[in-house]
Amino acid sequence: MKFSTKLALAGVGIALLATVPWWGSAVLVQFGINALILATLAQSWNIIGGYTGYPSFGNSVFYGLGGYGVAIAMVQYGLPFPVGLAIGIGLAVGFAILLGLPVLRLRGHYFAIATLGLAEVMTAIVSNLEIAGRNVGLILPLVKGDVLFFELSLILLVVTTLAVMWISRSRFGFGLIAIRENEQAAAVMGVNTTLYKILAFALCSVFAAVAGGIHAYWITYLDPGSAFDVALNVKMIIMAVFGGPGTIFGPVLGAFVLSAISEILAAKVTSLASIFFGIVIVAAIVFMPRGFADLVRRFRHLGWRYFQENIRTYRV
Amino acid sequence: MQLLWQILVNGVLLGGLYALMALGLVLVWGVLNIVNLAHGALIMLGAYACYYLFTGLGWDPFAALPVAMVLLFCLGYVIQRYVLNLIIRAPMFNTLLITFGFEVVITYLAQIAFSADFRTINPSYAGANFSFLGATVPLVRLLAFAVALALTLGLWLFLEHTRIGRAIRATAQNLIAARLYGVNPRHLYALTFGIGAALAGAAGTLYGVVSQINPYIGSGLTAKSFAIAIIGGLDKSIYVLAGGLFLGIVEAVTALYIGPTYTDVVSFGILVLVLIVRPTGLLGRTA
Amino acid sequence: MDDILEVRSLTKRFQGLLAIDHVSFALQRNEILGLIGPNGAGKTTMISLISGTLEPSEGEVIFEGVSIRRLPAYRRGRLGIARTFQVMRPFPDLTVLDNVAVGALFGATGHSQVLQDARERAQRWLEFVGLDRRAQQRAESLGGPDRKRLELAKALAMRPKVLLLDEVMAGLNHVEIEEVITVIKKVREQGISILVIEHVMKAIQSLSDRLLVLRNGEKIAEGRPQEVLSNEQVIAAYLGTKRHE
Repeated sequence: MKFSTKLALAGVGIALLATVPWWGSAVLVQFGINALILATLAQSWNIIGGYTGYPSFGNSVFYGLGGYGVAIAMVQYGLPFPVGLAIGIGLAVGFAILLGLPVLRLRGHYFAIATLGLAEVMTAIVSNLEIAGRNVGLILPLVKGDVLFFELSLILLVVTTLAVMWISRSRFGFGLIAIRENEQAAAVMGVNTTLYKILAFALCSVFAAVAGGIHAYWITYLDPGSAFDVALNVKMIIMAVFGGPGTIFGPVLGAFVLSAISEILAAKVTSLASIFFGIVIVAAIVFMPRGFADLVRRFRHLGWRYFQENIRTYRV
Repeated sequence: MQLLWQILVNGVLLGGLYALMALGLVLVWGVLNIVNLAHGALIMLGAYACYYLFTGLGWDPFAALPVAMVLLFCLGYVIQRYVLNLIIRAPMFNTLLITFGFEVVITYLAQIAFSADFRTINPSYAGANFSFLGATVPLVRLLAFAVALALTLGLWLFLEHTRIGRAIRATAQNLIAARLYGVNPRHLYALTFGIGAALAGAAGTLYGVVSQINPYIGSGLTAKSFAIAIIGGLDKSIYVLAGGLFLGIVEAVTALYIGPTYTDVVSFGILVLVLIVRPTGLLGRTA
Repeated sequence: MDDILEVRSLTKRFQGLLAIDHVSFALQRNEILGLIGPNGAGKTTMISLISGTLEPSEGEVIFEGVSIRRLPAYRRGRLGIARTFQVMRPFPDLTVLDNVAVGALFGATGHSQVLQDARERAQRWLEFVGLDRRAQQRAESLGGPDRKRLELAKALAMRPKVLLLDEVMAGLNHVEIEEVITVIKKVREQGISILVIEHVMKAIQSLSDRLLVLRNGEKIAEGRPQEVLSNEQVIAAYLGTKRHE
């Protein structure tokens, strides 16, 4: 599919989505907000994980910092929402730079574990902070109207995706991809790997923080467990990986499809919602480990044998 | 001074349990290159297995422990043999994601089956304690510590001195070497994961005796096990033991001098520091 | 003669193993210097020390009269030092063209900021090494000899002043070796100074202006090929490796 076609489709999709709050049911709108926020998170992870090849398990920290930035600003200081967002972004970027410096020197799974450790540390630290309401959390002022949050989330997703689009056609993005493909070679070819990695990390922190801020304001309640939800990390990674890491629309697709599948299955057997998410993950990794993009590409040739092939390639 | 000694004793007792918790994770990681995000969920299942044997059949928890281990072994064997074996040669990242999927499934099944309430396993001797050089040692904690040490030693002996154990260790090096031992690799992998699960089950039983359980403790225990594993070092069981003891003591000291809500801050903070400064662990070989 | 690159008393220790032992030499402007020696002599380590991939334990690396010892690898790349890797390191998921474009984007000063521009330049380098027909192929699908061409093109796209080649001829047949020799000579004609590590003796003899011989991390000979290759120590190094100190 040509890029201009994809772009046109995306434009239509966005326009359609924007109208949802006016004709959709309350449940659909809520599902939409969650899906949009997850898509933003997946897309932000795409920057550091997909393009740069550093699988971060700590983006939940940026999300949480964004949420707490908004919550503390509004609850403790009575500041307006946008200021809270700015504070959240500031906290997240600061964290990304300060802790990115030591942690981005680690390779592969050590980096993953280090970021996971950071996520746990932040959860623990915040649950001890008086200003954050300790373990009990904070309650934000109520704003009625899911419409507002839906449109905000949609705008955020569009902006994040535009950023990824810019990355994919810029010198910066090329540098990131080179780092992912072969960091040592990239370095000797003139890529300032340290700077680029930190920039990528900081960039993704911005979008994750705004997502966290919007989410916090929407559900009006924040506590360390849900703000720095470590499981969120794996969710956003899975969505990005299935949609297609290192692509522009992949993570968005992955987020929407996986969320939709979960919702639909959950609607049939209401009490088992999350189980289906887990089962979908397991099945997907076994049968289509290279994501939707690969599935679409090769299903045409192989048909159902595609799934068999994947198993044959990776089994004992 | 007296207080510090008590804290140290507490820390060591906790540390033994910690070491056992991390042991299964390290075994599976080192041999199969599988980073098992469901490890904590397996620990949780072991705790519940013991709980129901205790409350349902009236068994003493320490008697129920071997049964819990066997049950978890079977579960682990099946999971590895029929699911994980299918993706074992995929990038390690995939195992991470798939075990997360398992964690989600197991946790929510547990929530439905066992309800979300907190539970404890309280044998009749739960309150008993005795004095050791001036420190109060709860009997259950001492027993738990003893069992944890015994299992750690048992695993080491198994890996060093039995044919299957050595085949498992050979697998960590490469599959062809393992084949020389004449064991079907699919079976060998499943055995390894099963043993890892059994160890998790044992840790769960002990955890249930010394602390409260509910279906959601899984992810926190996984994270903690990671910290222990990395801090100690992944190369040998003894490193894991050291890591567990170290963290147990550090947490006990932190709880006293800074506050009990700060133990996670310190534990995971040390994890991050170790990764940054010395990723092979405090004891492991420098890369 | 003008030295573009100089190495002074360069030493590298790995955990007690002395890989490079106080080696000094100079690469003259526009010359082709061959670096030879038995396996494990430290040749690749030397290149890694010059390119910045490794940090020296002692000693100096001087480029165009200025010490670059403290500069990280990417700065040296931008200054004009390019290298190939013995274990070839393409960017697997990128096309052959884009692999080379990275060099054009980030290489020596005067690099392109614009992707399109970099791609055009990359195309010309692909023609230079003879890979232009494979421009749109994924790099990981290339066979051995083509990968070597790609390594070279990537380095050249950086517009280097100094090119460090690490065994670009390994595994090639006679015809391919002749082609590589021709290309290297063409590169020199463009004004680039070249340090070549090679095991293929005939090739390096005909290619190099001077030879440098390493053994166990030490320099044991340096000079014109005929002199060096008739040096007893050099011969002993290659034949007498069974005799250990």
